[in-house]
Amino acid sequence: MDEVALLQNYLVVGAFLFGIGLVGFFSRRNMIVIFLSAEMMLQGVSVSLVAWGRFHNNWGGQMLVIFILTVAACEAAIALAVVLTLFHKGGSLDIALWQQLREDNQPAYVDHEVPEGDDAEKRWPRLTPSGIEPEPDLEDLTHRAHV
Amino acid sequence: MSGSIPFLLILIPSLPLAAAVITAVFGRSMLKENSHRPIIVALVGSFMASLLLLSQVHHRSASSEGVGWETTIDLWNWVRIDDALATPAAAQPVPEQGMAALPPALPFRIDVTLRADALTSIMLSMVTFVASLVAIYASGYMHGDRGYWRFFSYIGLFVFSMTMLVSVSNFVLLYVFWEAVGLCSYLLIGFWYEKPEAAAAGKKAFLVNRVGDFGFALALFFIWTTYGTLNFHDAEGIAGILGQTRLAQPEVYVGGGIATAICLLLMLGACGKSAQFPLHVWLPDAMEGPTPVSALIHAATMVTAGVYMVTRCTPLFMMSPTAQTVVALIGFTTACIGGVIAMTQTDLKRVLAYSTISQLGYMFLGLGVATLGGITAGMFHLFTHAFFKALLFLGAGSVMHSMGGVIDMRRFGGLRRLMPTTHWTFLFGCLALAGVIPFAGFWSKDAILAAVYERGHEEALFYWLYWGGVVIAFLTATYTFRAFFLTFYGDERVPHEAGHHAHESPPAMTFPLIVLAVCSLLVGAYFEFTHGFAEFIAHTPSLAYEAMHAHAGAHDSASHVLIGAIGTVVALAGIGVAAFLYLGDPTEVMALRRLLSPLYWLSHGKLFFDQIYDVLFVWPLRMLAQISYWIDRNVIDALVDLVGRIPLVLAAGLRSLQSGMVQFYALAMVWGIVVLIATLLIWPALGASWK
Repeated sequence: MDEVALLQNYLVVGAFLFGIGLVGFFSRRNMIVIFLSAEMMLQGVSVSLVAWGRFHNNWGGQMLVIFILTVAACEAAIALAVVLTLFHKGGSLDIALWQQLREDNQPAYVDHEVPEGDDAEKRWPRLTPSGIEPEPDLEDLTHRAHV
Repeated sequence: MSGSIPFLLILIPSLPLAAAVITAVFGRSMLKENSHRPIIVALVGSFMASLLLLSQVHHRSASSEGVGWETTIDLWNWVRIDDALATPAAAQPVPEQGMAALPPALPFRIDVTLRADALTSIMLSMVTFVASLVAIYASGYMHGDRGYWRFFSYIGLFVFSMTMLVSVSNFVLLYVFWEAVGLCSYLLIGFWYEKPEAAAAGKKAFLVNRVGDFGFALALFFIWTTYGTLNFHDAEGIAGILGQTRLAQPEVYVGGGIATAICLLLMLGACGKSAQFPLHVWLPDAMEGPTPVSALIHAATMVTAGVYMVTRCTPLFMMSPTAQTVVALIGFTTACIGGVIAMTQTDLKRVLAYSTISQLGYMFLGLGVATLGGITAGMFHLFTHAFFKALLFLGAGSVMHSMGGVIDMRRFGGLRRLMPTTHWTFLFGCLALAGVIPFAGFWSKDAILAAVYERGHEEALFYWLYWGGVVIAFLTATYTFRAFFLTFYGDERVPHEAGHHAHESPPAMTFPLIVLAVCSLLVGAYFEFTHGFAEFIAHTPSLAYEAMHAHAGAHDSASHVLIGAIGTVVALAGIGVAAFLYLGDPTEVMALRRLLSPLYWLSHGKLFFDQIYDVLFVWPLRMLAQISYWIDRNVIDALVDLVGRIPLVLAAGLRSLQSGMVQFYALAMVWGIVVLIATLLIWPALGASWK
């Protein structure tokens, strides 16, 4: 495999890692998961740094990655401590609890409750059963799995 | 002993200053009820030094010839600005004097220089003497006051300023200490600042004085541009305004319109400080201050600063006969106004205040005569007046002290048995003020009237002023003894505020009264018979002016005796009228009051000066202030607020971005980076296409 193709592969992997991290960072509300997503973005960047370092025959990339790992370790300690404190204060890991920095005249973001009461009355379309009708699972009928 | 004059000159002001600083720093925490001690020690020390200085100056002056005797000490140079003014013609030295020609531009310099001459040493002795006695008196009078230390600190500061005022040798420094005594006056009038009347009176005194000081400042500007220096004495080859070089050559003084303008503006300053018409309105209100202050500042010393200044500037006034006539007329008008208003006032201190105004008017009348006799008589009256007016005020304070703060003569009476010492000393003061032979006031007032009368030979105006002066002397005797009889004679009445206080004042207060009473009896006669005062003061360089001696006519001793006789008769008549009206049955007073009801109304209303000034100056200024306030609130503030709202409006859109959601911020950041990178990528392409 030539050097350019190797670099491209590495870069693609790094970009994927970074992208997954970014999407996770935007979409998740659990602080620990957000933190993990951030770490993932960091690793994506580290992979591309290593790739570039190898490509250029320059140890700077590798060195920087080691450095990033060190910093990330420290940062993890601090971040987890902060998360722990926030959890103690808020009683939840949900990031949406912490919106105090918004402007005074901005409405707070509130979760829209998923309507629950109507479920029983709702008629769900049913496929015509085929074969032997299975025993209805009572547990499954009365209890809706948590989202 | 010759070397001690500089030492004494520095010592006299520094002692009160040091004491004032000590009292101000340690008074509250350590000295407390002993705050009077450093001040009294310093003032007595200053007085002793002044006496030494006086004797030395007297010794030197007696042997001097020509344009008098003076000595100056340069302490330091305060300001020096080179090439400040193109040399005016009047600043060029006289060729005969052999002085080098001046450069084309003169430096502006303020030298801190003290001077000793006859006028200064007399003023220093008088100020420190009265101040020492008043400080001793105040240690009894102010006893128990919360601001005891503050009071004495102010007194020390005042004496420092006043002694500096009379001993500096530069117009700017004169102005500085002129303001400093004004400040002390303000602080002491408003000493009981929690009392609204006292605070208002202090403010009024300060503002009215400001009008006069404005004129004084303009006069200084004129003097500077005309003569190119502000020093009294010759310094660094530039002939001082009142220096030996110039005095020996009177023709180098500038005459005409400029001289008149300078003198009238100086007189405006003197009017403010010495409470002359039309700026006399502050002095009666100044009686809101503690009585020792009224005695020291508003009767004996500070208000005479104007008289001192005009006397000091005699050579300038000599160049403008118009200004001299104005001085005489202002003095006469003020004497009339003061005398008329004092007739009907019911507040003992206020009677004395108007009498002070009236007597200051006499002094200016004397100065306006513009002969050596007139000016020395004016200064002589200043000197004797200081003793008996301080005495009268301190006596009034003693009455006030024992009456529990009541000073309205309608509420007490017949106090002669309760307060024998105050009664007798007050009587001495009244006799001196009324001008009864042989008390001090007789000699000085007589000297002024004689000078006015002699000038009347040349100008008919002064003849009329003389007779006017005689009438005022009659008024003086009447209102003085009216106050005396109302306070000390008749049925014994004591206001309920007095409580168990109604007795003679403590020795600390009666001792100064006795000393001053003796002085009121003796100083006039002593100086009259030794001819010491006029001769001594004529050795002041300003007064040893050649042109003045030409003015002085032959001393007409026959008419002098006649004038003295008229004065005595008038004074006795005034006392007689007062005795007739106010001893015993008050029906005559009532009858007279009905007979002269318009006059009574005018006099009792203080000729309505306050109301007239209210309408003419205070209300328009208030309205202007209201309008300015409105404009400030509604136009200027509105503009500023408008500018302040612009960012607010601009920010309203951006505010919605601040949602407080962490993910949103992260998204914004990523979008920002995306936009930046996109720009970086696209921009060179765009730039290349444009090229």
